Amino acid sequence: MLNYLTGYLSNTTDTPGVAGSNLWALIYILIIFAGVSGFVVLMNWGERKLLAHFQIRLGPMRVGPHGLLQPIADAVKLLTKEDVLPDGADTVIFRFAPVWVLLTAFTTMIVIPFGPQHAVTDMNIGILFMLGVSSLGVLGIIMAGWASNSHYPLLGSLRSSAQMVSYEVAMGLAIVSAVMMTSFTAGWDGAGTLSMVKIVEAQRLQGTWFIFKFFPLGFVAFAIFAIAMIAETNRAPFDLPEAESELVAGFHTEYSGLRWSFFMLAEYAGMFAVSSIATTLWLGGWLRPFPNLLAGKTWDMAFAMFPGVLVILVGFAAFYNAAKMPKHPAMKPQVVGLWVLGLVVVAVGLLMVMPPVALKISDIAWFVLKIGFFMYLYVWYRATFPRYRFDQLMKVGWKVLLPISLGVLVVTGIVGLTPELWAWMGGGR
Amino acid sequence: MKVVTLLRKVFLVDLLKGLRVTFKYQHPKEIYTEQYPLERPQIAERYRGLPRMNVNPETGETLCIACDLCAKACPEHLIVVESERDPVTKRKVMTKFTFDVSRCMFCGLCEEACSTDCLELSQDFEIATFDRNQFIFDRKRLEQGPEGTEYTR
Repeated sequence: MLNYLTGYLSNTTDTPGVAGSNLWALIYILIIFAGVSGFVVLMNWGERKLLAHFQIRLGPMRVGPHGLLQPIADAVKLLTKEDVLPDGADTVIFRFAPVWVLLTAFTTMIVIPFGPQHAVTDMNIGILFMLGVSSLGVLGIIMAGWASNSHYPLLGSLRSSAQMVSYEVAMGLAIVSAVMMTSFTAGWDGAGTLSMVKIVEAQRLQGTWFIFKFFPLGFVAFAIFAIAMIAETNRAPFDLPEAESELVAGFHTEYSGLRWSFFMLAEYAGMFAVSSIATTLWLGGWLRPFPNLLAGKTWDMAFAMFPGVLVILVGFAAFYNAAKMPKHPAMKPQVVGLWVLGLVVVAVGLLMVMPPVALKISDIAWFVLKIGFFMYLYVWYRATFPRYRFDQLMKVGWKVLLPISLGVLVVTGIVGLTPELWAWMGGGR
Repeated sequence: MKVVTLLRKVFLVDLLKGLRVTFKYQHPKEIYTEQYPLERPQIAERYRGLPRMNVNPETGETLCIACDLCAKACPEHLIVVESERDPVTKRKVMTKFTFDVSRCMFCGLCEEACSTDCLELSQDFEIATFDRNQFIFDRKRLEQGPEGTEYTR
């Protein structure tokens, strides 16, 4: 029994799913569920704050120091709100839709590789699984729009499904070109892979992230994916399904309270999922940057410590802001709170810097850092770009991204097979 | 020209420019929002706010000589000065001074007319009151400034 519980810990190469340890797979699922939920809470605050600073505002400042407790206040507000059921709505589907959207958003998480063995499981069709399950989320959106028995949700959900279906094509082709690149790994006999872990492994063996492979082909494919993934998650500038000036709030107009918060949770979880696809396919997943230029044990250690140092810097930023708080007796609890928070963050950072810990968690930390970069991009785009018109959206999807991604796919294949092509042509003569 | 526009589109130049602009706005010094009750805004020196009557800082006596120039200068006729002659010194002494802020447009003409630098428009900008009558400032309130409201639960 004890052997069953701890058996997985001696394993250092496989994910729990592959190693067949159901218990540890469950533990990983719980950790990822809690981690992603915590991330959504943090992102809720971070997005409001970042957006405010992009628009030269302060953002939430009153609930907790620098509004840090705002997500909790929001959650309390949402949980205590009335659960409105529209007249004439299809009750069963109306209640089921947010659950469905949430389920699909979280199910994709099981193949995300946070490290060589830090994933729930490693499927041989991992990337296909992620795409397939996240596409099922559209069904939930259509269900929500249809079951609401209202015009705006219906129009919003139709827009949403049209948009997701059209951008999935370009997205899929961009992914195929990255998957194709895995087949150029030396020693794999030209066999590519769809497994998320193996894709990162291929980048490690080839010694380059796929974004830099066959420059600019990898970069163009990445750019196509980066645009399509914003459209996939219905975020600005492609947030037509939720265009508040036209459709109130799109498919979730009739939802309130907890059910509405499910949609929000699913949206942010979806952002996390597509960002992790982009990270895995093009940005080298859990790998640290500059593996060739700055190689060696010392550099390995330095890069492993880097996330911890970053956390310590965040802690010092908290100290700096606590010192800069307005001098007012009413602010005293907030100042003290910010000092305590800074101390906690610095302590966590120091823990992360310690060499044995740093080497153990550096893969997870780098993966999360890369996802954080995408989250920043999401907010940055939202603060900068105005919303596309629907025909422009369709034009970009079908007439620009699709041909380019097809071209990139073909050219990637040709460039990758150049040695064989030369040999074949030489042999033919 | 067409090639240039095409290249701009291909390399997303305009989008990148926009991103650069918003990125720069993130600097904390760009923030416009004030945390008003906690941090008070910097009022310009020339700002004309609530009226104030200055007193002689040594004796505490008013500087007003009841010349009535301010009342005459006021376009709204909202200043009322009453005075009586002191039988001993034969000087005019101000007995009553009212200033109706609710009608005031803060033009500052009374301030300019005052020959003894007594009447002055201060930088106090918190003018709201609970009652219209409180807008009529008497001499005491003009000299001591508006008393802060005590809030009770």
